[in-house]
Amino acid sequence: MAELAVVDDRHYQRQLQALCAERAEPAFLSALREAGMARFEQLGLPTRRQESWRFTDMSGFAAIAFERASPAPIAADQIPAPFETDPATQGPRLVFINGRFNAALSRQIELPAGVLIDSLAQAQSEHGALLEQYLGRSPELTGNTFSALNDALFEDGALIYIPRGKQLEQPIELVFWSAPQSGAAPVAVYPRNLILLEAGAQATVVESYHGASAGDTAEAGACFCCPQTECALAQDAVLHYHKLQQEGQVTYHLGALRLQLAANSQADLHLLSASGKLNRTDIHARLDGPGADCSIDGLTLLQDGELGDYHLCVEHAQPLGNSRQSFKSVLDGKSRAVFDGLIKVVKDAQKTDASQTCRNLLLSKRAVANANPRLEILADDVKCAHGSTVGYLDPDALFYLRARGINEAEARAMLVYSFANEQIERIKLAPLRERLERLLHTRFYPEGKSS
Amino acid sequence: MLNINNLHVAVDGREILKGIDLRVKAGEVHAIMGPNGSGKSTLANVIAGREGYDVTAGNIQFLEQDLLELDPEERACSGLFLAFQYPVEIPGVNNLYFLKAALNAIRKYRGEPELDAMEFWELVTERMRRVKMDESFLKRPVNEGFSGGEKKRNEVLQMSVLEPAFAVLDETDSGLDIDALKVVAEGVNALRGPERGFLVITHYQRLLDYIVPDVVHVLVDGRIVRSGGKELAMELEEQGYALYSGGESGHSRRANA
Repeated sequence: MAELAVVDDRHYQRQLQALCAERAEPAFLSALREAGMARFEQLGLPTRRQESWRFTDMSGFAAIAFERASPAPIAADQIPAPFETDPATQGPRLVFINGRFNAALSRQIELPAGVLIDSLAQAQSEHGALLEQYLGRSPELTGNTFSALNDALFEDGALIYIPRGKQLEQPIELVFWSAPQSGAAPVAVYPRNLILLEAGAQATVVESYHGASAGDTAEAGACFCCPQTECALAQDAVLHYHKLQQEGQVTYHLGALRLQLAANSQADLHLLSASGKLNRTDIHARLDGPGADCSIDGLTLLQDGELGDYHLCVEHAQPLGNSRQSFKSVLDGKSRAVFDGLIKVVKDAQKTDASQTCRNLLLSKRAVANANPRLEILADDVKCAHGSTVGYLDPDALFYLRARGINEAEARAMLVYSFANEQIERIKLAPLRERLERLLHTRFYPEGKSS
Repeated sequence: MLNINNLHVAVDGREILKGIDLRVKAGEVHAIMGPNGSGKSTLANVIAGREGYDVTAGNIQFLEQDLLELDPEERACSGLFLAFQYPVEIPGVNNLYFLKAALNAIRKYRGEPELDAMEFWELVTERMRRVKMDESFLKRPVNEGFSGGEKKRNEVLQMSVLEPAFAVLDETDSGLDIDALKVVAEGVNALRGPERGFLVITHYQRLLDYIVPDVVHVLVDGRIVRSGGKELAMELEEQGYALYSGGESGHSRRANA
């Protein structure tokens, strides 16, 4: 296959130069950026020759000259409404437009003493020591081009810091809205979030990505979203984390998620990707203290021409850890779902209990799913299970529903909805779960039909 | 009510039903008995509209309609019900939602107003008592993790809620112990009436002690070889199907091989 060159070799390097010229940053940030750019240049843009990009064709991406996004004027009603409609239980909301914090669209609430929820750019001046201590320190995504690129080029995002023993009841909402202005060049945004939970702290975070495409075709309106979120949980901390991708149709979303879990901490992650031309998130979760617990649910909904990809590594580095990953995709039209999940258990991580499933539902003969669950176990007293399935709707189930009077379109919708909804059901945050159930309903039920 | 005329059905080019004639009037219960492989389930599936069967000759009239021209859901909405031999597990769809969707689809088809959640709840819980099912079944996914007996009871519950004009019971007795069998039979008997017809397909006479048929047909090798009253079932229980499975039908099977 012919190799499509990126617009030119120095394209992203120039973005870094422009960024540095605008900002006077402390040495640790400059060092992080330079190391990121060095890794990016060494790795280059991925091609299908690399094992972890074998099924994810980036040639379309590589041909587009994405430029750093500039702040765009945007009306408040273009931003999705908070999922929590009751003001009494609404939490803080940080809104980022084209990668920059927008205070006017955001919402602050009174926070318990010591809790910090701020934009990363603002936190730099007041909480530089915290950033220096934690930024870029979570488990690495070695060899991941886009994690490196985010290190080099991130501009803003959220800092969430919950001190020892504190619990924030209200969910923290991070909203990223990105799109090129009409007629403007394709844009790139590099959000960066840092979530820090001290011992016994608890938080609920909803990170969502939205946007509009100026045009539905070609490169006009194209958007490159390259976010990276790091989470560090100290002993006994509890994090409920949600990531939602509902971006424009011509969005390339290449994200990184890095988690570090200390002893007896718990994280449950809920990942939904519902639109975008190419969505990929690479995850590295390290269970770094005895008894840590990490569960990850992923749901990918793909339409014609879309690709969704999750690459994850769950690393059991200490004994007595539990991890569970459950990923599902619903594929329509000519779409592709890629899943590569590695459970890694080091020699001393005895009594690990890990499981991983990946299930793909094909709604079209032209859809393709590539699933690759992997185990790498060096300890001898562990329980690990994994499996993957790819299949069409069960014709027996379809006939059963139709034989009870339910028409074919609705019977199909019912089966697809229920397949997908099993992932949503596990979200504890009720208003978010209900919003996502409505999203699934709108997506899969024939028009005008209510449940 | 249900008129089957000279029905020939093939699967993958092999003829399974070789000219079935059957007339069930409203208010009647007909039983079809026969050995394994005689075509009993094929008949049930063709009536319900399952894919994969070629009707090579004949027709089925149901309530003045050409049944074979209708989709499975249209047949159900017209008042036909099949109690499955192997009820399907449907993960993620809860029983209550499924039953309500089914009943309202049928009511809508008939131009009747749909039931709201409260009205439906009253109806379904009343019918559940009839088949001695616990309300907790409503919250569980359709048939998922149900025992064999629970699945069959769930079929009878669906029938009680949907109140079809005509029901086909495909080996509903298989895998049931005697208590479950009685519950299922009571559920069916409660629906018997002058306006409703039943076709009860079974391998054994046992079920017919509890659901007493008006007419019994013996199906062997794709043909009804004998019809009679309920005493015919007793006779089959004593003598088995050996009397019918040799001779002529054996020849025809070889002829088709």
